[in-house]
Amino acid sequence: MQRPPAGRSYRTDEPVDFVVIGSGPAGASVARELSRKGFDVVVLEQGRAFAPSEMEHDELGAFITERWTNSSQTQPQTHRTNTQDTAQQRPFVGYAKAVGGTSFHFTGNYWRFRPIDFNEFSVRGGVAGASLADWPITYDELEPYYSAVEWAIGVSGEVSTAPGEPRHSRPYPLPPLNVTGPGVLLTVACEKMGWSHKAAPMAILSREFNGRQPCHNCGFCLGFPCEWGAKSGANYTMIPEALRSGRCELRSECYVSRIELNTAGRVTGVLYFDRDKREVLQCAKAVVVCANGAESPRLLLLSANAQHPDGLANSSGLVGRHFMFNGAALTRADFAHEVNGHRGPVVSRITHQPYELDPALGFVGGGGFDFRFDVPAMLMALSLPASEPQWGSAFKQRLHSWYNQSLLCYAHTTSLPVESNSVSLDPELKDAWGLPALRTTFREHEHDLRMYRWFQARGRELLDAAGALRMYDDPINDDPGFTVHLLGTCRMGNDPAASVVDRYHRAHDVPNLFVVDGSSFVTSGRGQPTLTIQALAFRAADHIAQFAERNQI
Amino acid sequence: MRLWRLGKKRDKLTFTMTLSRREFLVGMSAVSAVWLSGAIACRDSAPPNADTHEPDANSAEQPAGFVHFAPDDAADVEAIAARIFPTDDTPGAREAGVVYFIDRSMTTFAVDQADFFAVGLRDLNAAVANAHAGVARFAQLGDAQQDAMLRTIEGGEFFGAVRFATIAGMFALPKYGGNRDFIGWNLVDQRSVMEYKPPFGWYDHPDNQIALLGRIL
Repeated sequence: MQRPPAGRSYRTDEPVDFVVIGSGPAGASVARELSRKGFDVVVLEQGRAFAPSEMEHDELGAFITERWTNSSQTQPQTHRTNTQDTAQQRPFVGYAKAVGGTSFHFTGNYWRFRPIDFNEFSVRGGVAGASLADWPITYDELEPYYSAVEWAIGVSGEVSTAPGEPRHSRPYPLPPLNVTGPGVLLTVACEKMGWSHKAAPMAILSREFNGRQPCHNCGFCLGFPCEWGAKSGANYTMIPEALRSGRCELRSECYVSRIELNTAGRVTGVLYFDRDKREVLQCAKAVVVCANGAESPRLLLLSANAQHPDGLANSSGLVGRHFMFNGAALTRADFAHEVNGHRGPVVSRITHQPYELDPALGFVGGGGFDFRFDVPAMLMALSLPASEPQWGSAFKQRLHSWYNQSLLCYAHTTSLPVESNSVSLDPELKDAWGLPALRTTFREHEHDLRMYRWFQARGRELLDAAGALRMYDDPINDDPGFTVHLLGTCRMGNDPAASVVDRYHRAHDVPNLFVVDGSSFVTSGRGQPTLTIQALAFRAADHIAQFAERNQI
Repeated sequence: MRLWRLGKKRDKLTFTMTLSRREFLVGMSAVSAVWLSGAIACRDSAPPNADTHEPDANSAEQPAGFVHFAPDDAADVEAIAARIFPTDDTPGAREAGVVYFIDRSMTTFAVDQADFFAVGLRDLNAAVANAHAGVARFAQLGDAQQDAMLRTIEGGEFFGAVRFATIAGMFALPKYGGNRDFIGWNLVDQRSVMEYKPPFGWYDHPDNQIALLGRIL
């Protein structure tokens, strides 16, 4: 594994070409692309850089004590279901707080979207109570960037020729990962039901690639960084490549508080707290916000000023609105033999058979399934279904069979953009830097709840076809609990009254401000948004560089 | 994707959360990142490269004594933990040193729950004294009596908190004080060698793939 390159350092009082806020899949990709094209880039990241030696299989740290995720203590959140309610303190949004952003600890599911994800509104029409709209770009416009990302970072998979599969201009650079027990069982189920299935496209190396080691099948993927460097997260790919360009500085443990504007309405720089909580102003010719679907809109709202009293770039009033995740429907099941889904990649086979549904069902949207067992022993024990023994010798025995002979049938689905589902600033609660806390407002659209139930019923059919002995549904209700796919809150569009950024991710209201991450999404996709986030970032960087070269920023 | 679900009963509880559905279920922290980075020692050696990659925890580091609990309280906590993971044909919470994990947590990431645990133990022992004349402490009861007493509180917050803490101590890396000699991991056959080669289980074994699918994926 290569040591991270040092990068370089820039003065804060002289404007750099670009400040990029966030070092996740979006920010790191923008920084890599712009720095390699010869622009000077400073990346600000609130998390710190973790050495491989710190990347332990530490369940307590990963899931309980927030070792590399956003902090419920220094960054408290509030949540409510209805806009008229007072929000109560409760963590609702999670993301990795580390160099590499959430790709630092992701599972690596790297699904492409399909053409329908970009134009479903035109094809299927609207849904009452939702703001379904077409994207300002098409699949074909994004396709070259999907391929570019897959080849730049290393994605393992196999292009499927099943009906409905999208066009790939290039094959995957790496063959699929090892198939797992859950993958075999999903394949068995799909073949019995006459469903299509395919190798899961994963941002994990199945072979050595660009000097990085392949996957060691340890099973600690979801929620854990990869100490081998086999996961193709930004910390192992885009960030070191950006730093090697000689035109990029990464400043970690910098907590951005505000984007500064001049009276001409142009961004002049970014104000942040360094690791010692000193305020620093980094001057910049342009700013690219890639802080994720919750923190990007929060930062725009925190940057309100006299010209932008409702928040920066918010003349549409849509900053923070249309907060989406991906829907889910889960059923767990016991099998007769050892499944051992906790070994190897979390996901090895998927089906996209229900990607588009029969309009007669009355749903707009769709999804896909995988079978998996994605948690180590501690979370497994804490999440044993309530029907099972919860303590004593019977509990001990059940944990063994549950860990080794059960799996989770996971439906990943669309969720509708609803304007009242939002990210906003809490009027009272402050974070440890004295800034208004993140407030979320969310309730599921009734249409989506019906769709999740439809998916859960199909999941039970898959499990039955696979030979499941017993099944345990996770209840579907109005409260998603906690979420990590943060989408839709600064949506792209051609109409400045109905979107926050244009088709090139430039804020309609501020010429030298760009927002590129999950917040750009107009619709949620069927699940697994990271590849699309990263493809958008590659595409945006291409256009931003052209604008800069033509002096159009 | 929805990852975990948190209880809404109390705000800052590591061990008293209500756990339920979705992909996995996680407690919330009661600790600041600043504290954490100071309190948890990290390896400073290079990452492993050999095929026999051992996990990161230093299982040789065993707590010498209690840093928070008085001996009687420690005995009660250990007794409760030992009813959750009893010592039967396999080792349980007692052998795994779970009480040392919980003890240490009371001064570190669960420091804000020390009072809650103290009150819970006091109430439990009051109930013990009430039900068993001449007995002052839960730990003095026999196994069956302990089970009967715990069944009266198993729906409550205190038992939920001790259960959560016990599970955490059973499976957290040994460096946190419990899961001694990987007793917790061994209980479910989560191996401490962190590399696997296929086949991982029965279903992906080539012979069984042939039987199930007529081919090898």
